Amino acid sequence: MSVAPVAPVVPVDVRGVRWRLRLRNAHEFARRYAGRRDGVVGAAVLLLFAVLAIAPHLFVGPLQTVTTATGAALEPPSSAHLLGTDEVGRDMLNLTVHGARVSMVIGLLATLITILLGAVIGIVSGFLGGRSDQVLMRLTDFFLVLPTFVLAIVLAPIILDIVGTDAEFFGIRATLFVIIVVIGLTSWASTARIIRSQTLSVKERMFVDRARVIGGSRAHIMRRHILPNVVNLIVANTVLTFAGAIFTETTLSFIGLGDPFAPSWGQLLNAAQESGAPGLGAWWYIVPPAFCVVVVILAFTLVGNALDDVLNPKSATR
Amino acid sequence: MSARYLARQSAQAIFTILMIVLLNFLLFRMMPGSPDRVNPRNPNVTAEQREAAKARWGLDQPLIPDQLVAFVGSTLQGDLGYSMKFQGQPVLKVIGDRFMPTVLLIGLAELIAIVLGLALGAYTGWRRGGMADRIGNGLSLILYSMPYFVIGMPLIIIFAAGLGWFPTSGMLTAGASYAGPGQFLADLLAHLVLPLATISLGLIGGYSILMRSSITETRAEDYIATARAKGLPDGKILRSHAIPNALLPAVTLIAINLGYVVGGAITAEIVFNWPGLGTLTVDALNSRDYPVLQGIFLLLGVSVVLANFVADIVYGYLDPRVRQ
Amino acid sequence: MRAPVSHRFVRLLAALGLAGALLLPALAAPARAAGEKLVLRVGTTQDLDSINPYQTLLVTGYEAFELTYNLLVDFGPDLEPIPGFADKWERAADGKSWKFHIRTGMKWSDGTPATAQDACYSWGLAVVAIKADAHIGAGYLDPGLKDAGVTKVECPDDQTMIAYTTDASDRILQTYLTIIPRHIWGAKDYKAIGEAKFEAPLVGTGPYTLAEWKTSQYARFVRNPNYWGKQGAADEVVIQFFKSADTMVQALKAGEIDYARGPNADQLKALQNQPNVKTVVGSANGWTQLAFNGYGASNGKTIKGGGPSTKALLDPAFRDALGYAVDKKVLVDRVLGGFGDVGNTIVPPVLGQWHVEPDHPRTFDIELAKQKLDAAGYKLDGEGRRLDKEGKPISLRVFLPDTNDSDPKVAQFVKDWYGQLGVKVTTQVRDSATLGNIVLPPEAGKDYTANYDIELWGWAGNPDPNALLQIFKCDAIGSSSDSQYCNPEFDKMYEAQTAATTAAERKTILATMQNLIYDQAVYDILYYDANLVAYRTDRFGGWQNQPTANGTPLFSYGSINYTLLTDATAVPSPTPTVSSTPAPSPVPGSSATPAPTPVPSGSGGTGGGGGDNTALYVGILVAVLAAAGVGLALVMRRRKGTPREEE
Repeated sequence: MSVAPVAPVVPVDVRGVRWRLRLRNAHEFARRYAGRRDGVVGAAVLLLFAVLAIAPHLFVGPLQTVTTATGAALEPPSSAHLLGTDEVGRDMLNLTVHGARVSMVIGLLATLITILLGAVIGIVSGFLGGRSDQVLMRLTDFFLVLPTFVLAIVLAPIILDIVGTDAEFFGIRATLFVIIVVIGLTSWASTARIIRSQTLSVKERMFVDRARVIGGSRAHIMRRHILPNVVNLIVANTVLTFAGAIFTETTLSFIGLGDPFAPSWGQLLNAAQESGAPGLGAWWYIVPPAFCVVVVILAFTLVGNALDDVLNPKSATR
Repeated sequence: MSARYLARQSAQAIFTILMIVLLNFLLFRMMPGSPDRVNPRNPNVTAEQREAAKARWGLDQPLIPDQLVAFVGSTLQGDLGYSMKFQGQPVLKVIGDRFMPTVLLIGLAELIAIVLGLALGAYTGWRRGGMADRIGNGLSLILYSMPYFVIGMPLIIIFAAGLGWFPTSGMLTAGASYAGPGQFLADLLAHLVLPLATISLGLIGGYSILMRSSITETRAEDYIATARAKGLPDGKILRSHAIPNALLPAVTLIAINLGYVVGGAITAEIVFNWPGLGTLTVDALNSRDYPVLQGIFLLLGVSVVLANFVADIVYGYLDPRVRQ
Repeated sequence: MRAPVSHRFVRLLAALGLAGALLLPALAAPARAAGEKLVLRVGTTQDLDSINPYQTLLVTGYEAFELTYNLLVDFGPDLEPIPGFADKWERAADGKSWKFHIRTGMKWSDGTPATAQDACYSWGLAVVAIKADAHIGAGYLDPGLKDAGVTKVECPDDQTMIAYTTDASDRILQTYLTIIPRHIWGAKDYKAIGEAKFEAPLVGTGPYTLAEWKTSQYARFVRNPNYWGKQGAADEVVIQFFKSADTMVQALKAGEIDYARGPNADQLKALQNQPNVKTVVGSANGWTQLAFNGYGASNGKTIKGGGPSTKALLDPAFRDALGYAVDKKVLVDRVLGGFGDVGNTIVPPVLGQWHVEPDHPRTFDIELAKQKLDAAGYKLDGEGRRLDKEGKPISLRVFLPDTNDSDPKVAQFVKDWYGQLGVKVTTQVRDSATLGNIVLPPEAGKDYTANYDIELWGWAGNPDPNALLQIFKCDAIGSSSDSQYCNPEFDKMYEAQTAATTAAERKTILATMQNLIYDQAVYDILYYDANLVAYRTDRFGGWQNQPTANGTPLFSYGSINYTLLTDATAVPSPTPTVSSTPAPSPVPGSSATPAPTPVPSGSGGTGGGGGDNTALYVGILVAVLAAAGVGLALVMRRRKGTPREEE
């Protein structure tokens, strides 16, 4: 069998047209998204938190630990500590801002795993059909009905046992990967479902048939023809998944499955509960992380919904 | 509804349950250490005793098939083994003790959230764009973004610790003896108010958001326009035409959510020290009580599968297109 | 044009409000009506695991069986022997046996006569187990008898039990072995009783017998009408298990419970200002330590894929140097909130008569630690890393349990301090069962590899120091040893002090042993923990610490303190405040400072109660919700949603 290159021969000018089309689409997208006040506000909030997460030390200095704490235990807010201190005298503003990094990175990586798994399984399942589709969908159904949270609780110690090291990646301790993997493994199924159904409808369209006729490999078709047409769905789904991941992370950390050495917001709330902050009236220990959690989840939801409406007008309800 | 559809759905549910049992087996054999860990720091346990404990838990047998066969066999017979933390107590009893409190709490909370959430969603959807919609929907979204403990902690501080209106935790006054059912009920209700409020608030958002979009969709339908043209009053259109039609997606959501009634709201139970399955889960996790964790996992898995099954059936019944 | 939905909405809200209003009267402060039972409510953050005395591993379990059953000889206010199941005892002239007289006319709570046969049965189980070189159940109760050298028990009549012993000491009077009713359990041998399922209600001879146990919720004990001693004021005792110290403290403040075991330091400080609440800081009979993995130091053995990561850990000079780098005072102040004592030797100061301070104490001095490391041959490399004698940078893996929130803080300090010496520290948190397995060496079984460098954990002991001493014996390797330490000299001294006939002789040997372990730096004992307790004085009086100098009222030894409680409401006291309580006068060093100092936490006000914060909270809540609601309302256009799953 001769190895003829099967890449579609795309004339240069056609490629140019495609680019212009994309540009126009992008412009159109920006115009319509800008019309969504909720989406814009959400995006602004997320931008702020992203900046905090990327460079927390620029705003509040390095993460305070029990050894470098600057205040007394449970000091109420003052000019020295704008948000007060925790039970070992660490500055709450410092912790909350650094918590943004931990929470956001966990959310980001968990979302990546979720979307990657969901998209690959969804596209492959929808495109291949037949036996593989059946097997993959049974698997998806199975993960769909698994009690996510209990599964996460059970998986956490198992994974901790496997990856239990002290190494750091991007300033994130390895133990946090437990939470990331757990969230990823337990939440990809619904994404896979959505993407599969979209794939099924894209598959029937003319250009896919054409690509098949001119001899495109299945992997090629999936990558070059199916993926671009489900990417809108993936984008909106990613943002909503992010909100879910942060929600789950907060909850897992709150019940004590987090890493005591890396303060995510959920971990801070757990520490607040453990140290009895609610009963001691130390509201400054609870309000900042709780506020951040709610605001960030809300912002992600707003952005996700706005994106969904703008990118997938058909699913929008008007 | 065709018998074939029913059969297919049942087969799928049974298959999934079997998968859950299998996963249950594998997962818990993978957990760090194994159930033979009798007090490792006990000065008085010898190596022989450790071996004996291993034998007692059947861990000296090969994993597959011996352990698997024994596990599946006893699970099917309803024998879930014995709790490790509460020594000598069957898992079924440990879980059974915690079953009703959770069903009571989450069941009631679902009920309240369904009624209030759907009402709020219907109203905001119908009054779309108005001030009531903006506030109502904004509130729904905020509640939807709040983990239960974020709702619950302030409630305790204000209403239990601060104002002292309600007890801080638990389901009943510990060890109390009651003069009559009235007293018992009063005690139960007093303990129930805050956790119930917490979970209801947490759930309302989801229902309201769903109902709002569903109503909005319905509002654009032809028959609503027809009803309007006939000069029917606004409220009557909403009640008699819009709501019944908009309920379809809500019904499915409710059915699926009912599967999670058993799963409960773990963090809410923890915050209020509610003696349900949620606190049991965390307890069992903290003391690595594998048999109990396995039991809970099985129970939750099966109830979610059954709820999904019911949801499919109901949906198939309501919407004939699904059945083919 | 109003939508009917909103009507229904309002009606529902009204109904809910009504239901709430109806509830309120039921919530009024519990004033006790005439004839109503007086219930002592005890809160603890520890659960109850088993009501079989041979199975329980937790203090709460001990409390449950000590209330229900009697020890043969009980513990008095200062842990001295007082009558329990036996009312008199004497040692035979030849010193080889003890004669215990069982009081006449004593009855079990079900009315059956309680006799020497019950004592012989219960002790006999342990004697058989000891002979078989085995244990009963979890194996925590019978070793006491072995330690006391008991070889045989016999009961010539219903009022006499004779115990034969090889031991010269009077440790036999401190054995923690309860007497269980033979007419109920008599058919079980020592193996079966360890597995037996005890079910409420239990039959006992103690002051309160277990009547009901709701797992993870509460255990209820009712007054034993047949109790032979002084009846306590409480008609019932309810021990309530809390998931968090916070809810427990709230319950104490609200008067829902009378006693709270285990508030944290901040909570205790806040409670010091509460009316009708008294706080106690007891010394725990135990410590928190850094246990260095010295596997192979005595026999040169190594473990494939396990054991300590550097030979430096086997070198006492290395461990000794590390000891100068830990500022224990800072740990007590910053981690324990000032409650607890700086640690040194392996017999806690709470066992006052046996504890000694080290002869060569180590003080915090990083520079000195560096010098000592240099002198011992552990040099720094160019990058500031401390090298072991094989030339490898030293990196120590510290393992700690996930059971409390102070250990991670300690670990951070240690990491920082050791880091200043050029010794890298990595920390790993594990659940306690896993951690217990990690530190086991191959001696415990072929799957165990003792793959750790330092274990940050703690131990709690018995009234007799032997329990804590035996962790360092050679034969503890493979079971309780977490330092893998073995020194025949120590073992010899252990036997010698056990056989010592006088307290002075024993103390001399114990002093040498404590200094040996300290000088060898087998452990670095960081601090002796404190038992923090708060109790209410408006319903019960007569609270007494056991031991009086540094103990706590409940959860100590035996059941005497429950019977000492009095009904505070029965005494016509006009103002039941802290100053006028019938509670015992504060014992020096035992109760917390009488708090003229402002509490550094709380609302900043002087009241300090939750009530002061309420308005603040309501304000914040309303403001946040309002701001968020308005903000959202402005940006909101429309939304759709997905179901919320369980969390």
